[in-house]
Amino acid sequence: MIWLVTGGSGCGKSTWAEKLVRSLPAEKRIYLATMQVYDPESEKRVRRHRAQRAHLGFRTVECEKNLSAAQIEADSVVLLEDLVNLAANEMFDGGDPNRILPDLQKLSKRCSHLIMVTNDLFSDGETYSSSVQEYLRCLAEINRQAAGLADHVIEVVYSIPVALKGELPCL
Amino acid sequence: MKLYIGGAYQGQAEMAQAENPGMPLYRDFHETIRKAVLAEGRDPLAFAAAFCRDHPDAVVIANEVGAGVVPMAAEDRAFREAVGRVLCVLARNAEQVTRCICGIGVRIK
Repeated sequence: MIWLVTGGSGCGKSTWAEKLVRSLPAEKRIYLATMQVYDPESEKRVRRHRAQRAHLGFRTVECEKNLSAAQIEADSVVLLEDLVNLAANEMFDGGDPNRILPDLQKLSKRCSHLIMVTNDLFSDGETYSSSVQEYLRCLAEINRQAAGLADHVIEVVYSIPVALKGELPCL
Repeated sequence: MKLYIGGAYQGQAEMAQAENPGMPLYRDFHETIRKAVLAEGRDPLAFAAAFCRDHPDAVVIANEVGAGVVPMAAEDRAFREAVGRVLCVLARNAEQVTRCICGIGVRIK
């Protein structure tokens, strides 16, 4: 099964995605981490997420870009966090955002469950520089493609899951 | 507790008022959070827990502020994060959560 979990900043997406992982039978759980750690704020974020999932028995695989190079065992449950950072790294750090969708398709065939986390960055009504606008357009396209790939799309609204595609699981 | 949320001016305040006549309303709660966390330096989770304890029947109205590009200023990032953390706690505590879009309320809890 493939899941896409979206929502605004600080809305409880990660917590809900981890709850979903807990409900899935798995011998192998992989946390696919895409965030580049470059300052105390991102370190703090990583520490908070690590502490949150410490008891879930994840193996963490760091993959800032080029998902196809990540070492993923077959039949594992993969929590990919998140598409926002992956798209930024592919776009601004010498990668290729066009490979994200095929990489996700391959990844989803290899694992038993794929949970992709993304973020809703699109409703602040601001106009940004052309490179940021291009990034938003690119991420929005990846989000739409990921939603097309997913069996279930869930928006988390301040801890409350709302099903946008498929059914809401009983967690 | 009842929570009414939505983007700016989406009708959450009007709906909260119409559905809860005579009840005290906690309006613009995102600004209350800004003051408590940014100006007074309170911990978001502790602030949220104390508010739920002291106001179990509150009708709370707030804007959703997290659905945008990560702000450049650290203070703006802290504000968005604090609103998220606090409203998650309130939503978990609330018996009812309503999200307004274009004046239409969707009961999500």
